[in-house]
Amino acid sequence: MRLRSEANVSARALRLAWIAAALCCALPQTSAAQDMSFDLNEAEAAEAEQPAEGEKPAEGEAAAEGEAGAEASAEGGGDVLAELTAETGTAEAEDEATGPREQEVAEEIYAVQRMYVLRNGRFELAPSLAMTVNDQYVSHPALAVGLNYWVTNVLAVGASFLWYQGVESESDLNFSVRRSARLAVPITEYQLGAHLNFTYVPIYGKFSMFNDSIFQWDSYLVGGVGMMRTRPVAVVDPAVRSFEFDWRVAFNAGIGIRVFLTKYLTVFGEFRDYIYLEKLENLEVSLGADREEESTWIDENATLTNNMSVHLGVTLFFPFGFEYRYPK
Amino acid sequence: MGKTVTTTAMRLVLVSAALLAGLALGPVAPRATAQDIQVEGPLAGAPAVIGLRIYREMRFQIQLQGTMTLNDEFSRAILAGGQLMFHPTDWLGIGVWGGYALGNIDTALTDQVAERGQTNDVNVLSLPRPGGFTDQIGRLQWIAAPQLQFIPLRGKLGIFEKLFIDADFYLLGGIGFIGLEERADADKEAIFDRCASADLAMKITCLTPTQGERESRVAIAPTFGAGLSLYMGDWVAMTIEWRALPFAWNTSGTDESGSSKGDFPDGKIDSNDQLAHFNHMFSLGFAFYLPTEPGLSHMDEDE
Repeated sequence: MRLRSEANVSARALRLAWIAAALCCALPQTSAAQDMSFDLNEAEAAEAEQPAEGEKPAEGEAAAEGEAGAEASAEGGGDVLAELTAETGTAEAEDEATGPREQEVAEEIYAVQRMYVLRNGRFELAPSLAMTVNDQYVSHPALAVGLNYWVTNVLAVGASFLWYQGVESESDLNFSVRRSARLAVPITEYQLGAHLNFTYVPIYGKFSMFNDSIFQWDSYLVGGVGMMRTRPVAVVDPAVRSFEFDWRVAFNAGIGIRVFLTKYLTVFGEFRDYIYLEKLENLEVSLGADREEESTWIDENATLTNNMSVHLGVTLFFPFGFEYRYPK
Repeated sequence: MGKTVTTTAMRLVLVSAALLAGLALGPVAPRATAQDIQVEGPLAGAPAVIGLRIYREMRFQIQLQGTMTLNDEFSRAILAGGQLMFHPTDWLGIGVWGGYALGNIDTALTDQVAERGQTNDVNVLSLPRPGGFTDQIGRLQWIAAPQLQFIPLRGKLGIFEKLFIDADFYLLGGIGFIGLEERADADKEAIFDRCASADLAMKITCLTPTQGERESRVAIAPTFGAGLSLYMGDWVAMTIEWRALPFAWNTSGTDESGSSKGDFPDGKIDSNDQLAHFNHMFSLGFAFYLPTEPGLSHMDEDE
């Protein structure tokens, strides 16, 4: 607490109001990603949407609804800055009557937290390991790498590349079913996949570990289209049939979580479904000369295939550093 | 694709994991802990959060859950269950989880075997009648697991910058008791001694009754998993949980023991046909806390 003249107080309050309004307008909506506190006020404010008069507004809301807050300030409705401004009229009237005098003022200053990381305009390199989670017959692990460019803090465009060949393995189940039930399950082998995708971040949060360290994280949606090179594995008539890799158009959609270790390094886990029309081996074997005819080896009907994969990896943002728009 | 491919794959996976670990750890400065925030001044040494809602400490949790097994070979179990847990601290809980299978859904592979499977002299015990395959597959009946819950992360998340909810991430571990129903033991030679079995049709006739004979047992296995609690109020939360229960059982009801190089099949359905499976499942639930008022952390410091 400090003593200062009322004239100084009103001038300072006006300056603060303008600075706060400017900050609120200048900050993008996404700045709320780092504006959450863990305290009681935020959760209550989020539930109530409008903070009670004189109550400290939630920080997240202050950023997300910054413009509204600025308007409220200008109208003198509800917040401390507006109330300070409103006092000016009374003070000026008193000044006229009694002259200037010093008064004790309790001042509260609200600061908008910076976002921990700014992503817009930065590239993100994401090497990862992918594992199949829904194919009981053949696992399709892959070495993957993705490259994203963040157009805004929540939207990125990018490409990803996956290499499967040589890493795949057939499960024991396939062998067991063939042996015990004399049933051949058609399986496929992947070589590579290349995809274009968008990434959008709708969910963000922070975790504290034993009330000691704080981790920022976000959850994102990813989706796009690309190509995969696959081929059937001959299991029905392997003595005669063999297949070459061919291109398939594949759509992909997924959801992931990214935890920031530093301002340029994160670890992430992602679930992504690669959806495409697969051509499988024909379960029927033609007799006679037709057995050698390649056109009879592939099933005429394409099969809609979902290759559901989990990616685990790290991402590296570059350039490593970035500058905030406003000083701390 | 065989053992060589698997070995190569394992090597590649290990090398890649080492590379990723190197990438992850390499650029991090030794002093940089969580997000390299170095607090100085009057806040140095202060707790990360003041006024944190303490949702778990000295509270009971009663949870209702729906569970579905994942990546099943022949039969998927749908379980209804729940959890009763007491938390002596905000980061540790002790209790019991359980579920009862309300139903089992056969997979597409089960349907395929039933429709297209073939029986001959070699696999006649494994599959006496393809159409009866659904009667012989193993099914999960119930699970009960005393367990500990460890809650290392507590935080909150915002959805579309509008909805803010408290959340915590937890790990769990314990011992699972699993009620199973499997195909009953059968000895092909003993059955053939009692039943004239000159040709395949007669063998099938002799062995068909064994296809539907069931035996129940309780398997004991470690259980572990992880989950996320999303707090919708002071006393209620939604939970999303993944759990694994690795144990061996005969999911197909077929004769699996023996090596293909000579002694397969061994002609018996018994415990030797129980193969190791990484059984895992996904649960959604609602947790209710008693008493209904949560605590608040470090409020003395705040004042």
